[in-house]
Amino acid sequence: MTGDTASTSELLRSAAGAPGAAHSYNVRVCHWINVVACAYLLWSGVHIFLDFPELYWGHTGYRGYPAVFRLEDWGLSWDEAGALGDRRWGRNYHFTVAWVFLINGLVYVVWNLHSKHFRNRMLPAREEWTIAHVRRELRAHLSWRSHRHDAAGSYGTLQKASYLILIFVFVPLMILTGIAQSPGFTAAMPALLDLFGGRQSARTLHTIGTVALVLFVVVHVLEVAAAGFFTRVRSMITGT
Amino acid sequence: MSRRISRRTWLTGVPALGGLLLTGCSRETFVPPRVRGGLIGAADVLTMSTNRLLLSGQQLAREYSRSDVADPFPTWNQTNPGNAEYQLHASEGFRNWRLPISGLVARPRELSLDEIRNLPARTQITAHVCEQGWSAIGEWTGTPLERVLAEAGGVTPAARYVVIDTFDGWYEGYDLFEVAHAQTILAYGLNGRDLPRGNGAPLRLRVERQCGYKNLKFLKSIRVVDSMSGIGRGTGGINSDFGFHWFAGV
Repeated sequence: MTGDTASTSELLRSAAGAPGAAHSYNVRVCHWINVVACAYLLWSGVHIFLDFPELYWGHTGYRGYPAVFRLEDWGLSWDEAGALGDRRWGRNYHFTVAWVFLINGLVYVVWNLHSKHFRNRMLPAREEWTIAHVRRELRAHLSWRSHRHDAAGSYGTLQKASYLILIFVFVPLMILTGIAQSPGFTAAMPALLDLFGGRQSARTLHTIGTVALVLFVVVHVLEVAAAGFFTRVRSMITGT
Repeated sequence: MSRRISRRTWLTGVPALGGLLLTGCSRETFVPPRVRGGLIGAADVLTMSTNRLLLSGQQLAREYSRSDVADPFPTWNQTNPGNAEYQLHASEGFRNWRLPISGLVARPRELSLDEIRNLPARTQITAHVCEQGWSAIGEWTGTPLERVLAEAGGVTPAARYVVIDTFDGWYEGYDLFEVAHAQTILAYGLNGRDLPRGNGAPLRLRVERQCGYKNLKFLKSIRVVDSMSGIGRGTGGINSDFGFHWFAGV
């Protein structure tokens, strides 16, 4: 299919994210760079967290200060957590991969705003905005009947909405709660401290956001499995 | 029309860069003393230069109110260096402690604690942000590092880094952009009292735009150098010798 017989117009159509086409080249490349980056961000973030396994609210938080979450209340003592974590490794990788994630994300967003991918493929159409439609789709999801017959590039309403919220609300909040913990960035942008109610609040929200993102990925992979794991993964690799 | 506006926008941006130009718009302002290899080194440069561009106006870090202060201020890691010289100074109430300022300054000299206390002081209520994840707010009183260097006649044109050594065997290098910042002070007071031993008596550095590990405690000496190579492992500080970031703004 994508051999030497693939026509130029077909490739162009796919790159532009035209309706009906499978995943464009840009979507596929950015998706898999993102998978690797997010895996590193999660793993390095867990390492950083384990070296200080408590969360606080507000501007202040240190060992002995009233915490909103303590890992030792959940069975892992401070020393046990510290032995598992490695903030030197974690910080080096977290702040390196954060740049990969950011640049990849910007390329993805700018490219797909330009190619109208978001407008054509991800913005729910007017007829999808009805309660009846959403309810029907929700029932189909919950009963494990998914859109097996749909083309890989055509998304359901809930799927469209969750992708858009993820890309344009959730990911920016993760970036902002991340840099709101940085003494350098907050000196340049002190409003970040007010936005989240303090450095420690930002750290707590960043951690909650991480858990939410992991849950998103779990649901995302389950949905892919429901729609036919191998065909969908192949389509995200080859575009067919 | 649009060209004229963009030129005007560009011109208004120039004064903001003045802070950078004054401290010498040099490589040291944007790049760590030794750039690590691979992607990690590229990210180090991106992080540092992004920070320095955003902070080109030498903005102050957030200053809080007295009610935000943590008192007693938490202590962490080294709280009492075993070093015999330090213990002697501590037992004498730091009366005989002197801070040597050497290297690329006009008039190398030593300062006593009283001499430093008699210089113009700055008090700032700021957050100490540990790279490990904790943070606490303290009211720090001290002398701007630049003012202390002026007591030694100021740095010479060849100067690139200020190196601080401590009694617990730590050292760190700071580029002149960091040194020139108004909140970069040598603090002898915390929360209205003398700096406690656990927090770095008699004197500690405050660099409010970088993480805790750059805010050295138990100061022993200051030297001004033109290069960090040949000091420690040559990465620019003991933390980066251990593999942490040299620029600790994140």
